[in-house]
Amino acid sequence: MMFALDQLILLPILLPLTLGALLVLLRGHEQLKFVVSLGGTLCLLTAALALYLLTDREVWPNGVGVYLAGNWMAPFGISLVVDRLAALMLLLSTVIASAALIFSRRRWSRAGVHFHSLFQFLLTGINGSFLTGDLFNLFVFFEIMLAASYGLLLLGLQPRRIRASMQYVVINLIASSIFLIGIALIYAACGTLNLADLSQRATSLDDTQRLLLETGAAILAIAFLTKGAMWPLGFWLPATYAAAAPPVAAMLVLMTKVGIYVILRLWLLIFAGQEDHWHTLSGMALVAGGLLTLCFGTLGLLSNLEPGRMAGFSAIVSSGTLLIAIGYGGPAVVSAALFYLVSSTLAVAAFMLLLELIERIRDPGAELLAQTMEAFDIDDAADESAGVAIPAATAFLGLSFVTCALIMAGLPPLSGFVAKFSLLHALLNPASASLAVSTLTFVIIALVIFSGLAAIIALLRFGVRVFWSIPGMKPPRLHLSEALPASGLLLLCILLSLGAGPASDYLARTSAALHQPGQYSERVLSSTPVPGAGIPDGEIP
Amino acid sequence: MEAIIAIAIGILFASGVWLILRPRTFQVIIGLMLMSYAVNLFIFIMGRLTVNQPPLTTTRNIDSSQFADPVTQALVLTAIVIGFATTALYLVLLLTSRGLTGTDHVDGREPRL
Amino acid sequence: MLLLFLLLIPFVGCIRIALQPSSAHNREAWLAVLPGLAGLAILGSLLPQINNGDVLRYQIDWLPAYGLNLVLRMDGLAWLFCLLIVGIFLLVVLYARYYMSPQDPVPRFYAFLLAFMGAMLGVVLSGNLVQLVLFWELTSLTSFLLIGYWHHRTDARRGARMAFVVTASGGLCLLCGVLMLGHVVGSYDLDAALAAGDTVREHAWYRPILLLIALGALTKSAQFPFHFWLPHAMAAPTPVSAYLHSATMVKAGIFLLMRLWPTLSGTPEWTWLIGGAGVCTLLSASLIAIFQHDLKGLLAYSTISHLGLITALLGMGTPLAMVAAIFHTLNHATFKASLFMAAGIIDHESGTRDIRKLRGLYSLMPVTATLAIVASAAMAGVPFLNGFLSKEMFFAETLLVGSSSNYWMAFAAVVMGVFSVTYSLRFIYVFFGTPARDLPKTPHEPPRWMRFPVEVLVILCLAVGIIPTLSIGPLLHLGAAAVLGDQTPHYNLTIWHGFNQPLLMSFLTLGGGVLLYLVLRMRFNLSQRSQVPWLRRFSGQRLYERFMLELRSTAVKLEKTVGTRRLQTQLALLLLACLTAGTVAATGNLQVWQAFVSSPPDVSFSVLWLIGCTCAVAAAWQAKFHRLSALALASGAGLTVCISFLLLSAPDLALTQLMVETVTTVLILLGLRWLPARRPHLGQSQSPSYQTRLRRSRDLTLAILSGLAMAALSYLVLMLPAGEGISHFFLERALSEGGGSNVVNVLLVDFRGFDTLGEISVLAIVALTVYGLLRRFRPAEESLPLPPQQTDLTDAAVRQTLLAQATTGYLMVPAIYLRILLPMILVCALYFFMRGHNMPGGGFVAGLLFATGFIIQYMIAGTQWVESRLHLHPHRWLALGLLLAVATGAGALLAGYPFLTSHTALLQLPLLGELHIPSAFLFDLGVFGVVVGSTLLTLTALAHQSVRGLRLSPLTPGADGTAQTKEP
Repeated sequence: MMFALDQLILLPILLPLTLGALLVLLRGHEQLKFVVSLGGTLCLLTAALALYLLTDREVWPNGVGVYLAGNWMAPFGISLVVDRLAALMLLLSTVIASAALIFSRRRWSRAGVHFHSLFQFLLTGINGSFLTGDLFNLFVFFEIMLAASYGLLLLGLQPRRIRASMQYVVINLIASSIFLIGIALIYAACGTLNLADLSQRATSLDDTQRLLLETGAAILAIAFLTKGAMWPLGFWLPATYAAAAPPVAAMLVLMTKVGIYVILRLWLLIFAGQEDHWHTLSGMALVAGGLLTLCFGTLGLLSNLEPGRMAGFSAIVSSGTLLIAIGYGGPAVVSAALFYLVSSTLAVAAFMLLLELIERIRDPGAELLAQTMEAFDIDDAADESAGVAIPAATAFLGLSFVTCALIMAGLPPLSGFVAKFSLLHALLNPASASLAVSTLTFVIIALVIFSGLAAIIALLRFGVRVFWSIPGMKPPRLHLSEALPASGLLLLCILLSLGAGPASDYLARTSAALHQPGQYSERVLSSTPVPGAGIPDGEIP
Repeated sequence: MEAIIAIAIGILFASGVWLILRPRTFQVIIGLMLMSYAVNLFIFIMGRLTVNQPPLTTTRNIDSSQFADPVTQALVLTAIVIGFATTALYLVLLLTSRGLTGTDHVDGREPRL
Repeated sequence: MLLLFLLLIPFVGCIRIALQPSSAHNREAWLAVLPGLAGLAILGSLLPQINNGDVLRYQIDWLPAYGLNLVLRMDGLAWLFCLLIVGIFLLVVLYARYYMSPQDPVPRFYAFLLAFMGAMLGVVLSGNLVQLVLFWELTSLTSFLLIGYWHHRTDARRGARMAFVVTASGGLCLLCGVLMLGHVVGSYDLDAALAAGDTVREHAWYRPILLLIALGALTKSAQFPFHFWLPHAMAAPTPVSAYLHSATMVKAGIFLLMRLWPTLSGTPEWTWLIGGAGVCTLLSASLIAIFQHDLKGLLAYSTISHLGLITALLGMGTPLAMVAAIFHTLNHATFKASLFMAAGIIDHESGTRDIRKLRGLYSLMPVTATLAIVASAAMAGVPFLNGFLSKEMFFAETLLVGSSSNYWMAFAAVVMGVFSVTYSLRFIYVFFGTPARDLPKTPHEPPRWMRFPVEVLVILCLAVGIIPTLSIGPLLHLGAAAVLGDQTPHYNLTIWHGFNQPLLMSFLTLGGGVLLYLVLRMRFNLSQRSQVPWLRRFSGQRLYERFMLELRSTAVKLEKTVGTRRLQTQLALLLLACLTAGTVAATGNLQVWQAFVSSPPDVSFSVLWLIGCTCAVAAAWQAKFHRLSALALASGAGLTVCISFLLLSAPDLALTQLMVETVTTVLILLGLRWLPARRPHLGQSQSPSYQTRLRRSRDLTLAILSGLAMAALSYLVLMLPAGEGISHFFLERALSEGGGSNVVNVLLVDFRGFDTLGEISVLAIVALTVYGLLRRFRPAEESLPLPPQQTDLTDAAVRQTLLAQATTGYLMVPAIYLRILLPMILVCALYFFMRGHNMPGGGFVAGLLFATGFIIQYMIAGTQWVESRLHLHPHRWLALGLLLAVATGAGALLAGYPFLTSHTALLQLPLLGELHIPSAFLFDLGVFGVVVGSTLLTLTALAHQSVRGLRLSPLTPGADGTAQTKEP
């Protein structure tokens, strides 16, 4: 029974990998491909849900499930580890993946060969990065994820996409080399690659090794911060988001969060233990970087009119906020940050999907006219006092846009507000006296609020121009397979806001577990392989 | 010995960095190659230098200190392969970009002078 | 529970109506009325309990961990406001039923209206401060939708945006204030906050809290200097104005101030902030109102000034002032709503709202005129009307402010009174005089029921004005008691207090007002006057617009300066960041960096690296103009790396590096053809511009620094004795448990097989991507023509296709010799594959070797010749290889072992006899397959470009697909 359960940990990696390979073989049959791909993704969704429950019910001790790949005990073999955080991220990724996949059915899956294989490989990479408990293996999964994302980004060649992906690819290649350098240094320092083992050895190092470890960690951090789009490393992001196909962009939104996830995981795992100058220094660095990122994102929101870039900048805003929260530290803040992460990721992904549908009702001429009339303060002479009826499809779009905007701007009553409120509350009412309310806290609060205001202004500008400047509303052609995913994601956000109580409790447990790395590593290192492997009476595979 | 290899890594890396900062795609790809050499060597030497002691264990009971560190070698092997793959990808990408945008500038458009 | 219903009913109704088709008018009106009636009923049923002065609470846990719960709390004040909201809502709906034109899609209208009412009720009913903020922002949102209801009109859009931005920003300030207040009080619960007045007032945060909350309230109730959004909001349909901008939304700010009165008031800060804002508002707004030409504009400014009056009363902070404030809130709601409706009727029937055009309406619509006149008289504070009473209380209070010597407040009050009388007269004037001719429509009485709401409200005005103690007294007491508790003052609502200063002031204002009006009409020719005297300098709206524009332009500028879209800059930043982070970390503990002694350098090694480094630097030097040599040099460096791997006891690495080197070189060679020719043209090469030189020096510095850093780190590590790592484990177990003597290979396929699986999937992904890219590949124009070597007509082969060349013995000797080479290479690959587990080699090397064999054929004989003879299916190789690897791993699951557990199988083969096949072998086979597949896929895809190039090429007509089929 337990064995079967353990396989669940493997499934999120193995299934998409297999499917990806299989889908290469059946060329042509688009419909079949889609069915296979979707089926697999839905299986993953259920698996992720199961893992979510299993970890929370603590079926495995401390809610940490360990899978020893190749039946070699940690730290020697590669171990997959699932805890509450990993399960949560898995759930998030599979949800967004399902939405993106369904959305891509009508148009985008046909835009390039092997779309579905690449999509599945992308899932493999993302899930692997969430699950793996080994530093180098993390690198490998990152590479899988990136390679697949390159492929998906280049769907349907356009000069614009090529330009964007040239930047994206080169920057990520360099980041990968940096990643490798960091790994090498950490290995040189600790002589191990297993995260759990690292977090134990990190406490007992001599000065030189300590120095190497810290240098390695610093360099590694740069690599992840590049993925997490911290200022000034994140300039590639808006261009890439604006250029990518909507479903791919939705997945990219998720990938930004993978960088954040890794930072959270490694930082709390390896450095949370000791409260030395290094810890405070790096924390401050994170907060500072986060603040700068937040400012940059806000600027971008205010200055850009193009929806794709706006979405990109709102993603930057959210990762800035998250970095601040991580650097600021404290279980309460982190759990609030996780809530924010989930809600903002869902919202921005949904926004990405909505944008394409919105593009269909846009009428640049009318918008320009309306814009100038507002700018030059011209009132239209004949104020005919009969309103314009809005077609149902447009009404639907408008409604979802408003929902999206509310969440992204953190306005009541949806999850964005809950997230922002709990974050500010956690900042203002710290649990321990060590992080008392300081000037920094107020700076952070002011910036967070202001970024929200900027989001309001930007989205309002966009929404009014798109939905209210159209003289004769022509109903857009919406397909269920396109409307469903976007609204589904938003619906999840709404559910999240309704069930805010339970959700935040779960996240509180999650972050509490994160702040006890001892349990994690103890669990991983103590897990024993299945006895009696490698005897030459195995089966013929 | 150590000094030489260290310097070598430094020089390889430096030339790589210089090239990836250049404006033309071909320069960048050569830069990526040089950089990956440097990085691979760097990972490799994390297992320290050992001459003529390849990790080939012919007998069961051995003194593990007599062999070069196999782990870094395995890591480097993986790194080499992935580097190869990404280089190939970038090559094709730069060709496509050249074809579509008509320039071989890394930004896909000639800089305004 | 009833409270919950009271709150939910409007939202339910909203949804119910939103689902209606946009045709039927009556049905929707009724659907909108029902929730209102239900709410009224509930309020009625709750009155007894409220009368006993007890506070009803209903709580739902929402986010208990953060002290955010939905608490519905109703006391007298809340009850009073609920009555106001629901009552006026009913009248407005009835009015709108007739006002909205048949073309209007009313479901949206009623739905928004209901949603707004719900939000308003939420504000007044909330017993949790954060919840109050929540509904507060909801009112902003819904009012935005209502103001922008006629969104095809520019002014509607602008007004809506302005209102939303201003009020929403206020709401954010309020949120901050509430959060800080909650921190001080220790809970967000309203009762706790009300109880903790003293602690709050003494706390260090009192001023910021007060400021933030005041900002919220003042923006909402359009107080100076945020008043500018309200006149623009008049673009809304008149029912909306009547509801939002007289009775409800703008009163939310007032309500908030009343709510938190016990907590925050009673300090000089409070008086100065709130009172000051109030006084400024009531003076400026009432002055501006006089000079309006639009009926609704006049009413809007008068609303602002009346709100200022209430704010000023609240600012005074005395209990009696509070009573007056509540009283005036109610009165203002009644007469202002009726006035808005009257204005709406005039607009609706006559087609214009311009005071300069409208004349003598009395003769045309006597009833409406009478009602409007009474209402505006109430607004002006004429005796026997409700306005008179509350205004007199206001006057009485102003006299008490400060010492008896200080009369500035009273003076301001009188001035404001005078102004209000004046603009009331301006409003009334439209009914008198000779009927205007040039109106868009000829006015007449509106439908009976359209007038009804106005009648009701005016009757209320009269009732309150004449028999206050009976009509309004009890309700007023409810509200006052709820706020003031035991310090509720004794007050009497009789009209006649005897001759006293307030009465004097009232008559002063009436007389003064009439006088001023006459003077203005005679002397200053009011109707032509479009500018407001004194105040024309300051226009909040212009400030707002400029602020918005500035915000955008500054943001654009700033983004340009702190951001970039160029790749080179980004890479430089990335490396710089990396360098900085590394340096900061590495210099954290300096005594680590003491001098080490290196082991004596071995000569051959030094020479080797001398060459290697020269190659690298030369490649860096040449890469711009001499691609081929740069490539050669780079591979030279690669070879050096490979040799040093060999020297430093890593044969596997050496092998792999060698193969990868080969294949990469071939790849790039295939690619070179499609790159544009680049020659140093003189102008640039002689004198690079200043920026160029600057950039180059920057890059050079960066390169050298990072090189130094890498060198230093490597040296440090190398000098360090190896720690007790995990490597010994593998060395010891490789043979005994991994079943192979080549530890590296065992690591790859067994211990860390998972990495390898990932690695080959990366290969596969990249190959697929490349394939997808090249299918669509279009070479650039100028690289289409064949290179001169291939177009030299002295060479016979030029006129042939590649296929023809291959078949007619072009390059015969090397072709034959390479074809013979193919099987050898394959055998060699097999050899490397088989020995992989025990000796250097393995699936990866074998795969590359195998692929190279075929590539050679492509190179010598051309794509078409090879593909017409042997059909490799790279896709299948790739997919099957990957599947095999996965299946091998998954096979272990069947045996009850984790993924990728290695086993050894015994096979009975006919000739070879018993044979041990470790599962690692199959895994390696998978690796082999993937490597072959992806390498072939990539290379052939590139090779095909040359074919396509030929096809597209204008120079060789015979060289397309049709020509080759004709070949024998």
